[in-house]
This record gives sequence, structure tokens and C-alpha cells, in this order.
Amino acid sequence: MLLLDELLLTLALVTTAALALFDRQLIRACALFVLFALTVALAWWRLGFPWLALLEVLLGAALTGAFLFHALGVMPWARAPRGRLSRWRDPVPLNWRRGFFRLLPALAAVGMLGIALASLPAINEAPGPLRLSGTVLFGLGLWAFALQRHLLRRLLAFNIIGTGIFLLLMSLAREVSPAAGQGLVITGLVVALLGTMLGALLIRRLNGLDGRRVMASMKNGGGP
Amino acid sequence: MIERLGLMATQPAQPGISAVVLLLLGLPLLLGVLGAWFRPLRGGVVASVSLLPLLATAWLLLKVSTHGVQAWTLDVGPLALHLRINGLTLLLLLLTQALTLASAAYAPGYLRVAVKERSAGGAWLWPLLGTMVASLSLIWLAADLLTLYVGLELMGLAAVGLMLLPGHVEALAAGMRYLLLALVGSLAFLLGVALLLGGWGRLDLAGLATAVEPGPLLWVAMALLSAGLLLKAAAFPLHTWLAPVHASAWTPVSALHAALVIKASFFIALQLWLVLVPDAAVAAWLVGGMGTAAVVWGGLMAWRAAKIKDVVAWSTVSQLGYLLLAFPLLIGTTPAVAAIAWEGTWLQLVAHALAKAAMFLAAGNLILFTGEWRVEGLAGASRRFPLALLSFGIAAISLVGLPPSAGFTAKWLLLHAALAAGHWPWLLVLAVGTLLSAAYVFRLFRFSFIEDAPHFGLRRVPGGMDLIALLLALAALLLGLVAQWPLGLLSMTGGAP
Repeated sequence: MLLLDELLLTLALVTTAALALFDRQLIRACALFVLFALTVALAWWRLGFPWLALLEVLLGAALTGAFLFHALGVMPWARAPRGRLSRWRDPVPLNWRRGFFRLLPALAAVGMLGIALASLPAINEAPGPLRLSGTVLFGLGLWAFALQRHLLRRLLAFNIIGTGIFLLLMSLAREVSPAAGQGLVITGLVVALLGTMLGALLIRRLNGLDGRRVMASMKNGGGP
Repeated sequence: MIERLGLMATQPAQPGISAVVLLLLGLPLLLGVLGAWFRPLRGGVVASVSLLPLLATAWLLLKVSTHGVQAWTLDVGPLALHLRINGLTLLLLLLTQALTLASAAYAPGYLRVAVKERSAGGAWLWPLLGTMVASLSLIWLAADLLTLYVGLELMGLAAVGLMLLPGHVEALAAGMRYLLLALVGSLAFLLGVALLLGGWGRLDLAGLATAVEPGPLLWVAMALLSAGLLLKAAAFPLHTWLAPVHASAWTPVSALHAALVIKASFFIALQLWLVLVPDAAVAAWLVGGMGTAAVVWGGLMAWRAAKIKDVVAWSTVSQLGYLLLAFPLLIGTTPAVAAIAWEGTWLQLVAHALAKAAMFLAAGNLILFTGEWRVEGLAGASRRFPLALLSFGIAAISLVGLPPSAGFTAKWLLLHAALAAGHWPWLLVLAVGTLLSAAYVFRLFRFSFIEDAPHFGLRRVPGGMDLIALLLALAALLLGLVAQWPLGLLSMTGGAP
């Protein structure tokens, strides 16, 4: 029963994350991200980390969501998007060839992680659904981060990679030293929020200044 | 190597040390908030207030040099944060406080002249600067991975914030790239920490040093940690974000960033390698190869750069290559070689920090005087602005590595270590790097000595700004004459078995 429960939660996590990452309708993507963050909070609750659940709801869902919507310029009085960067639909279509080549580094990273996880010493319990979902979220997020050019979608991808790492971390630290694990995750959550906040404010500001030149300079600069 | 890092100290901390360290971490934050409130207009006020953390550091120096290396834990709820102070920590703390004092004293004049209107950015400068200095101090002091992670993240976010302050499109676009890369780097770091925690159940470096066993888990964790840190340190293939960020940043911010922020990531990476994989000679040679590429590529790009600030920024990439040579010289070599390379590495770090901060401030002054960003715009500068050019030149002496500067002593030590280890390639790297740095420095001077100069958008700049750049440059030069003092500090013992 418990296993079925965890499997359902894993499935919900991965589905909401994938939808949030690959939806080109950005408002819907951000809404899905908030849903994803709430699912993560539920997962923390089920794992017996109520503090992490509370922080995830506050920082991950409420504040991060608010900043993402702020970056999109979704206001009660705004009817239509203005400016290129806050366009509510990502204009760059998904190209299968490009998608495949951007998948390779993500797969390599996940493979490397898999090798490391396989050689864990015996003090750790057998891998559960939690570790699996953490790894899948990490891979999905990396793929999306490499694939997408839209700054907001990259911020979403960053947040989802981060959540994958938090889940992995707690699955590793749960037995051996939960206090250190929680310390790391709480720091990570605050950093992710501050990073998203800076990114969202920057997107708004860049949009206000000169969207077209920024897009060009970002394209020339390339990415990681 | 672990005892050199002061991680094996067994004696409890002397009374008062923990409190003074907390003061040292808290003071910059407090001063930052006060700075935002009062928005100081005079460099002298800022300098005298910034003396307080420097005094606290001096007190620590006195205490630690009499009682030996200190290590203690700070309990925050169920967590135990490990901290330590040894000679290296003290040297880096002193460097941080001194450079902060110089940059902070430079900032009010710079804001008054270069940033005309009382923009919001001017108020944000101080708290961000305070956060950055506090997190740097935390990184030098930290002896466990959680504290290092907190320090690294605080420093990274404060650095991004400082880079964004100019507020125009170029700064924001470069800052956005920097932000994304810094965030990715911190995720890689966190994943590496998670693997180490899962494998061995602890985060304190001294404990991990005895617990870890070589294997795929350790190697993947180290690869992730190193990738994240080298990305933040702008090591060779991961350096592309550096020049655009510096090109549009404010001068005092650039100076601190190139002098300290990049070095902090390098410091953490080297410390982790020495503690966790002290025998990974092959991987260390790989990092040495990256350093070689950085020296050559950074030097070439600095030589070809069109803007003055780009020359200085690319020279940072090149000079960081020398520091990366520390990996192959310290890891998997004999103790005699490692002892020389150890001294050379940290002296190079200190010398470069002083010289690079001086060079950025001098370059910023030249840009302010002439109103020109391009290297060609320096034509005739030798006659009109001799003091700024003199500071630039003295800083360049240390950067190129001519005697009697600290840069010379550091390179001499590194050369000596490479000879003793029989690592011939690094000799060649040091020679090529010296030639390249001489080439890009003399290119700037060639333009400045052109006599038939056109007109200038002449500007009055406070004399204090020139003086600060000159003092820093002189410090980099004269440190070479008194190099025994920092080297003696490095070999401070006590508490170590």
C-alpha cells in the first residue's frame, strides 16, 4: 500500500514536471510549476519532513510562483502581453533533431549519476521511488535547460533540476544524517528562490529596456 | 596536506576567538546596511569605518600566532558547523579586508564621478558588498561542506547582484548569463555534496578525509564539485562569462570580483582535492592542462582585446591558469615539491589579487579621465595622467612577474617546484605566460605614449582615487621584498600533530 502510494506520488511529480517544462504556453507552464511544487511539498510531508514541506509551499510554490508570474507580467489589469521577452507563448518550435542532440549530455550526466549511485556503500537502503524520481527530474530538467532559449523556461528548468537534487539528497541522507541533509536542502531552497527572484526581475527589466538587443546578445553568447 | 590546511587541529578554540569570528562575519553586513542608509559621499569615512573588521582580523592574527591553529564547531540547532583558523586563513582574511577597504574607499568618489544621478544602484552597492565580504570570510574559515555551500551561494548571489548595478542593457544581459551559469554551478556543487553525504554520512572535511575510499562514487562526486567550482572560477573552457560581465561592471566591483570572488572558488576546489583525492595525479595533470590552455588563450585574447577593461579581464583568465598549475604540483608529488608549490600558489594568489585590484582601479581611472573605453583611446595618456599610468605600470610589473614584485617571487617558487618535480611542461607554460603578459601590457603602454594625441573629454577625478590604486600597486610590488612574512604565516604550526 505504502509502495503504491509512493509510486503514485513519483508519477505525479514526473508528469507535472514534464508538462511544466515542455508546455509552450508560458502561463500554463508556470501554473503547472506551482502544482509541481505543491506535489513536492506533499512528498516531503509523506517522508516525514514537515518543515521542508512548509518551506516548499512558502518558498517553492507561493513566492517562486509569484515571481514567475511577475516576470510574465500577469497582472489583473493586463490583458495582453507587451514586449518580446514577456510574450506568453514561446515562439521557438521544438525541433526533433536539436531535441535529440541536446538530450545526449543530459543522458550522459544521468548515466554518470547512475554509476555513482550504484556504487554506494551498504549503509544506504535500497533505492526507492524517491531516488528514482529525483534522478528522472534531474535528467528532464537538464534536457530542458540545454534545449530551451527562453529565459523564463530556463528558470523553470533550473528549479526542477534543483528539486530533483533535493529529492536525491534527502533519499541519500535520510538514514545517515537527516539534520545535515535538511540544512543543505533549506539553503538550496532559499538560493533557488533568490536566484529565481533575480532572474524574474531581470527578465522584467530587460524587457522594459530593449528586448530585441537582449535576445540577440543572448543568442550570440550561447549557453552552457 | 591536511595539517597544512589546519583541519587536524585538536585543541579547543581560545576564549573569545569564536565571538570575534562572529563579529568579523557580522560587521560587514551591519556596515553594509548602514551604508545603504547613509549613502556615504566621502571615501575617508568609509575607509575609517572599514578599519573595524581589519582590526578584528589583526586581533585574531595576534591570538592565533601565540596559541596556534584553532578549530571549533558552532552549533545551530541540530547542526554543527565546523570552522578553523590557521595561517592561510589569516592571510586570506587580511587580504580580503584590505582589498575591501581599498575598494570601498574608492567607491564613493567613483559613484560621484561616473554614476552621476543618485541612482538606486548606489544604495544597493553597500549591503551587497557587505554580504560578499562576509561570505568570503565564511569561505576562508569553513571546514565543512555545508558551511562552504552557504558561503559559496551567498557570495555568488551577491556577486551577481553587484554586477547588475549599472542597470543598462549590456550589464543586465551579461548578468543574466552570469546568474544562470552561477546557478548551474551551484547545483553541480550541491549534487556532489549530496553524493559525499550519501556515501560517508558526514560533511566535515577532517572526517571525510579519513572516511572516503576511492571508487566511482568519489570520482563522480569530485567531478561534479570541481565542475561547479571551476565554472564559478572562470577556469579555461568555462571562462566565457567573465569578460562581458567585467566590461560593464562598476570599477570597484570588478576589482573585488577579479581579486577575491574567483579565487574563493579556486580555494574551495584546491582544498577539496587535497583533502579528498590527494593522490589523483592523472586528473590533476588534466587540470594543469586546462591551466596551460587558460594561460595561452587568456594571454592571446588580452593581447587582441579592443577595450581596456577587456584586457584586464582576459588577463585574469590567463593569470588564473598559473593558479591551476597548483593542482599537478601539489597532488601526487613528493612532500618537498609540495612544500615549495604550496608557498608559491598562495603567494601567487595574494600577489595577483593585489595587482589585479590595483590594475582594475587604475584602468577605471584612465577610462574616467579619458572618457574612452577603447585601448586606442589611451593615446597621449602618459603626459596627461602620469599617476594613473604609473599605478597601472607598477601593477603590471607584478602581473608579468618582474623582480622585485610578489608576482616574481611566486612564479619563482612555482618554477622551482616544477623543476624539483621534473615537470618540464609547466616551465614552458610559465615562460610563455610571462611573454604574453608582457606583450599585452606593453601594447597598452605603446598607445599611451603616442604623442600626437587628439583631444580628450577631460574630467576632474578626485585625487584619492589615484592614490588608492597607487597604494595597492605598491603593495603588490613591495610584498615581493617582504615575502618572508606571508610565507612565515603560511607555515604557522601549532595544534597540528
